[in-house]
Amino acid sequence: MRAKSAFLLALILAGCGSTPKPAEPPRLRAALEAESDGAKRYARGEFGAAERRFDEAMRLFASVDDGPGRTRNRLHLARTRLAQGRAEAVLDLLNGADPAAEPGPALDVLLLKAQAQLALARDAETQQSLAAAAALCGAACPQAASLNLLQARAALAGNHPQEALAHADSALKLLHDKGEAIETGNAWRLIAAARLAGGDAAGALPAAEAALDIDRRLALPEKIARDWLLIGDIRRKVGAGDTAAAYRRALDVASAAGLAEVARSATQSLAQIK
Amino acid sequence: MSLLTQYDADAESLRRGIRRFLLVALLAMLAVAVAIAVRQGAFRQTTGYSFVANSAQDIVKGQAVRIAGFRVGSVTNVKLKDDGQVAVDIEIDADYMRFITHDARVELHKEGLVGSATLEIMPGADQSRLAPAQARLTFSRSDGLAALANQVRDEFIPILKDIKTITGTLADAEKGLPGTLARIRESADALNVLLATSNRQVEGIGGTAIRVLGKTEQSLGQFSQTLEATNQRLPGMLDRTQQILDRTQQVIDHAEKIAAEAETSVPPILRDGSAAAADAREIIGGAKQTWPISSFIDPPAPAVLKPDSDPRGEAGRAR
Repeated sequence: MRAKSAFLLALILAGCGSTPKPAEPPRLRAALEAESDGAKRYARGEFGAAERRFDEAMRLFASVDDGPGRTRNRLHLARTRLAQGRAEAVLDLLNGADPAAEPGPALDVLLLKAQAQLALARDAETQQSLAAAAALCGAACPQAASLNLLQARAALAGNHPQEALAHADSALKLLHDKGEAIETGNAWRLIAAARLAGGDAAGALPAAEAALDIDRRLALPEKIARDWLLIGDIRRKVGAGDTAAAYRRALDVASAAGLAEVARSATQSLAQIK
Repeated sequence: MSLLTQYDADAESLRRGIRRFLLVALLAMLAVAVAIAVRQGAFRQTTGYSFVANSAQDIVKGQAVRIAGFRVGSVTNVKLKDDGQVAVDIEIDADYMRFITHDARVELHKEGLVGSATLEIMPGADQSRLAPAQARLTFSRSDGLAALANQVRDEFIPILKDIKTITGTLADAEKGLPGTLARIRESADALNVLLATSNRQVEGIGGTAIRVLGKTEQSLGQFSQTLEATNQRLPGMLDRTQQILDRTQQVIDHAEKIAAEAETSVPPILRDGSAAAADAREIIGGAKQTWPISSFIDPPAPAVLKPDSDPRGEAGRAR
């Protein structure tokens, strides 16, 4: 009993003796809370709610003339809209930024623009953005792996599978032991797609399965469903008998997650093999 | 000597009396002259205006100028211009200048059809701006008896001409009434012939028509049966439709009632909910900052999203 009392007393004294945390101004605190909440929702895949919170945070930071906070949340907002498949809105958002008022990560902006341009199949603009990003990145930069992956996607879109494979391999090497599971999954998916496009369907299958394994661990429904679609395509190419099963898995996942576009693709693929 | 002195004093007194009398008489004459001048308006302040007329008929120098029937001035000059028109100058008492707007016009009209002519100034609609001194006003002349007679004549002559033309046309043997009657008679004869031919043709068609009518009668009989069947079923269907409509109406009424209730009850609930959420956020925010909870919670900080170059996994299927 005496020991418990002594421990409690020590705890209280420690609490009283600790340095008081400096209080932030309420408006800045609200902005940071909105940003933090948006990030949590983004991680949970609640993109609509995340968008609202990032937008609120962006406005709050703008209202206290906090340029870095505003830019950061603009980029968060752009990423959220990309996840929602609203590429046009992303370009509007990024092009609407005033570089003088929001000086910041030009490389990140270029990479996000390239993603949006890829989604809109604007190949020439994508190449321009990626060339500018590569010039900014130089020999090495923290975003080098992402840049390589986007270059691989652009090459694949331009029907250059070997080039795409080279970029995806480079990205995979850069990501080794970095703990960036999402980008690693993207790299494996790109390797699988590049190998399939290059005629190496047998080599594509383990890469696609590696991507699926990572995406399952991260519990990302859209990526899992698209991985299954890719696996179905590969199995179809090699003439495996369980192609329909892969498409059905894609359909199941997409239907459960409410991904209408992916579900439609799966249904079409199923119809094609019947 | 004393008598002469007395005489001089009387003469001086008489002379003084005469001088006084003459002075008083002169002053009285002057007063009368001034009174006459005042009466004649010699000391009145006046303003000049002018107008141009086609003719000087009924306009004379000294003629009264009126506003609303009151004499306010007179014509001071009437002269013929080089272009054949008549320039008329008028003077108006300054007191009445306020009635003469920039768009006022001078009208010459007669009292009755044959009375004397008077010049009347008619103020314009825009009362906000007065005509400046020496302004040229517009002039118009109201129609007299001669003008009225001319107008009547002008109206009647075309009517008389029309009557003459109509009667001439009616009397024409070819195009008039006799010719028309002859053509009607011819048309009636032709119609009789046509009717006779038609009668013969209709007799031929009659047989065929009777057969067709027989078939039509049969079809109508069948149609009548169908209608009877429909008649038997229709009341039931109508009853059911009516029931459905009644139920739909009930549902709509109910929905309207709910919507009306919601309209009044939901906004306060939402406001209360919002206020409650704000309170809860405040309480939680306060609790978060309170020791020892604050020790376990990280303060909000700038977020870093994990890099993802393909958030939708679209790279799997190349375009």
